[in-house]
Amino acid sequence: MEAVLSGFEILMRPEVLAFLLVGIVAGLVVGSIPGLNDNIAFAIFIPFSFSMAPTFALALMVGLYCSTAIGGSIPAIMVKVPGTASAIMTTIDGNAMAQKGMPGKAIGIAITSSVVGGFASSLVLVFLAPPLAKFALRFGYVENFALGLLGLASVVGLLGGNIFKGLIAAAVGLLVATVGLSLETGFPRFTFGVANLYEGVPFLPLLVGLFGVTAVLELSEEWVRERRAGRRAEALPRITDRLILDYAMVKRLIPTWISCSAIGNIIGVIPGAGMLMAIFLGYERTSRVYKRKYEGRPGEPKWGEGAPEGIAAPEAANNAVVASSMVPLLSLGIPGNSVSALFIAALMIHGMMPGPLLFIEHSDIAWMIILAFVLANLVMGPIALGLVKTLTGMVYRLSKELLIPTIGLLCLSGAYSDENAIFSIWVALIAGVVGYAFRKMSIPHAPIILALVLGRQIEDNFSNSLIMSQGDWLVFVDPVNHPISLALVAGAAFFMLGPVFSWIRQWVRKRMARGAAEVPAGS
Amino acid sequence: MQTKDLLKSLTFALVGSALCASVATAQSYPSKDIKIIVPFAPGGAVDVTSRIIAEYANKHLDKVKIVVENRAGGDGVVGQTFAARAKPDGYTMLAMTSSVVTNPVLKETQYKIEDFEAVAMYTDDPEVLIVPTDSPFKTVADFIAEAKKRPISVTIAGIATSHHLAGLALEDSAGIKFNYLPTKGFGPQLQAVMGNHVESALWSFGEGKKHVDAKSVRLLAVASDKRLEGFPDVPTWKEAGLNIPRWTTFRGWAVPKGSPKEAVAFLANLLEKVNKDEGYIARMTEYGYPVSYRDAAGYTEVVNDYADLAGRVIKKHNLKEQ
Repeated sequence: MEAVLSGFEILMRPEVLAFLLVGIVAGLVVGSIPGLNDNIAFAIFIPFSFSMAPTFALALMVGLYCSTAIGGSIPAIMVKVPGTASAIMTTIDGNAMAQKGMPGKAIGIAITSSVVGGFASSLVLVFLAPPLAKFALRFGYVENFALGLLGLASVVGLLGGNIFKGLIAAAVGLLVATVGLSLETGFPRFTFGVANLYEGVPFLPLLVGLFGVTAVLELSEEWVRERRAGRRAEALPRITDRLILDYAMVKRLIPTWISCSAIGNIIGVIPGAGMLMAIFLGYERTSRVYKRKYEGRPGEPKWGEGAPEGIAAPEAANNAVVASSMVPLLSLGIPGNSVSALFIAALMIHGMMPGPLLFIEHSDIAWMIILAFVLANLVMGPIALGLVKTLTGMVYRLSKELLIPTIGLLCLSGAYSDENAIFSIWVALIAGVVGYAFRKMSIPHAPIILALVLGRQIEDNFSNSLIMSQGDWLVFVDPVNHPISLALVAGAAFFMLGPVFSWIRQWVRKRMARGAAEVPAGS
Repeated sequence: MQTKDLLKSLTFALVGSALCASVATAQSYPSKDIKIIVPFAPGGAVDVTSRIIAEYANKHLDKVKIVVENRAGGDGVVGQTFAARAKPDGYTMLAMTSSVVTNPVLKETQYKIEDFEAVAMYTDDPEVLIVPTDSPFKTVADFIAEAKKRPISVTIAGIATSHHLAGLALEDSAGIKFNYLPTKGFGPQLQAVMGNHVESALWSFGEGKKHVDAKSVRLLAVASDKRLEGFPDVPTWKEAGLNIPRWTTFRGWAVPKGSPKEAVAFLANLLEKVNKDEGYIARMTEYGYPVSYRDAAGYTEVVNDYADLAGRVIKKHNLKEQ
């Protein structure tokens, strides 16, 4: 308890609080600029943090980490360009709602949902860290394979009627994921002697390309079309409606918040699962609930055309991953995802190592970090609501003629700053062109990203599991030694077979209907 | 106001790369900032040690400073190639580590180990054999006895990494068998050991020191010449019957071949001064990076020894791409 109090005391120092607030504001700005994200911001910031007091550096990082996802949803809603990867699903319903003249409502839902998800996850960090860390340790090679499979299977649920194109997208993602040094053989695959590809196609530039550069191309196309038609470029949506949600909306979104926060928290705690997986699983689940409960009712849009739950689900899920990803990091020293891994770097620079020792040697710092997450989530809502109009005004007051090259430049400099390499710019450009071509063929982007993230994880864990089991495939469904894996594989099978079942059901129904008509004539 | 904010974030993004800009003048060495190319991302062991050294080295320099520049990618190859091709004027150094030796052998690189000239070494991080805390192997003897009967699973950073080579060398020298589980990243390896998903691990002492201190994992034996300070009960690999005198990950400075003699001497001298700094020693030890200075000749010997040892393992186990 003493440690908690001294952690609180450190956090309440005016300078530390100031850094936390700077972090929150910086996160909102960085997030709302397509091409920049928390990973890039941290990578640039870490060398500077070397000369800073650790409490300042950590407070700033916590603030930044918490609020980037909110920032990312702003351009996703306003111009359909996700500011960060975490906003990829928010673009769909968020932008649709904005197009219908309710950008304020869309952003309000995004911010509120983020705060709910983030706050839930900071409470998990405060109260449940030790038992959850033990749970996280149960994830070995076998469980991680099954988890990857479940994540990949969630794609099927997202695709709706477009299964074939979705599978093409997933296949492309998996193929790109094979590029690089094979962990199993130590030999490079599909690298064509290019050293920059040894660690795989650099991920951040790829994301920046698929989101940012594709969006730039789309915006340019729109602009050209408008010019040809002799119209003046259409103004971007302005926030004129209320940002604060009314009571009915809050009440309606509560079930979505609960389920997506839960998914986000569970996924966040499991090392290596990652934020995207939580977003996809949450989105998938919510879409099924929405279709059953609301779709087709008067005044309710179709899923994907401005459903409030379509914004609330991914935004609650992505922020729920944030603080919970610190659970395995702080209690075990195992990073939950790539961003929380950068906290290790920041701590190590100041001679601290996350893990059980942190609570013994530097318990005040450990608690300062935990409490900073709680505080950041409490204050980031009002800050975001207050800043959002300025932020959107700042970026989107520019005319389209200026906005397009600005986003383009920011994307490319973001890609470059990842590894300080020109090569990364090429990756972003190529990914952007390919992404644009896919859009034209209406091949969805989301499965590419998910497959890219999970491809390596699935492959490596699969091969290691089989090494452990001496080639026995049943290891993945072993109810005694790997019950978690069995449950995850069953979940994956359920996702994958879902559409098959509904086809069969439809087919049978049609057959029966036709059969009924044909019976008298036939037999 | 808006443009100002935008500009600010742009500068933020570009400031890293702008840091290396400097003015060149032809005066006595050093007349401008000296770059250390770290071929890995910020936050890793090489980056952290390089920055600590830069901090202490800069106390001995006026007007100019040592600047760390990250050029990550290709498991080190990108930055190593960059440094090999840099102008040999004494203003570009490479943070040279073991992978400079193995990368040209195992991968298609456009540089050779001969393209570099050793300046001095600052740390020598021994390989350690790690088991889960509650592992049935109480001693190395238990471990060897079991590993002679059946292959024991071991997590390593990847096939053909220095850790894999260490495992293969152990198989040859101690007559034991391993089942390798290549696992990318230290975090996942730690998870595998702590969660009892694997029976042992081979990694560098420095990275895992704090976890050994915390008793999250158990240290069975260490591949250094003598027992480590603070771990008097942990035998060396040689004492424990693993028959390998030393297997270490070295870290030091190198310059592209043909750099001026006086520059190399200046830098080696600078690193030696840093190496005697009490504050520096305390900080490095705290992280788990044993301080061990060697001059250019001594460093070259370490590099050559490793090239010889690793080369033999690579050849014997046919790891080279055909």
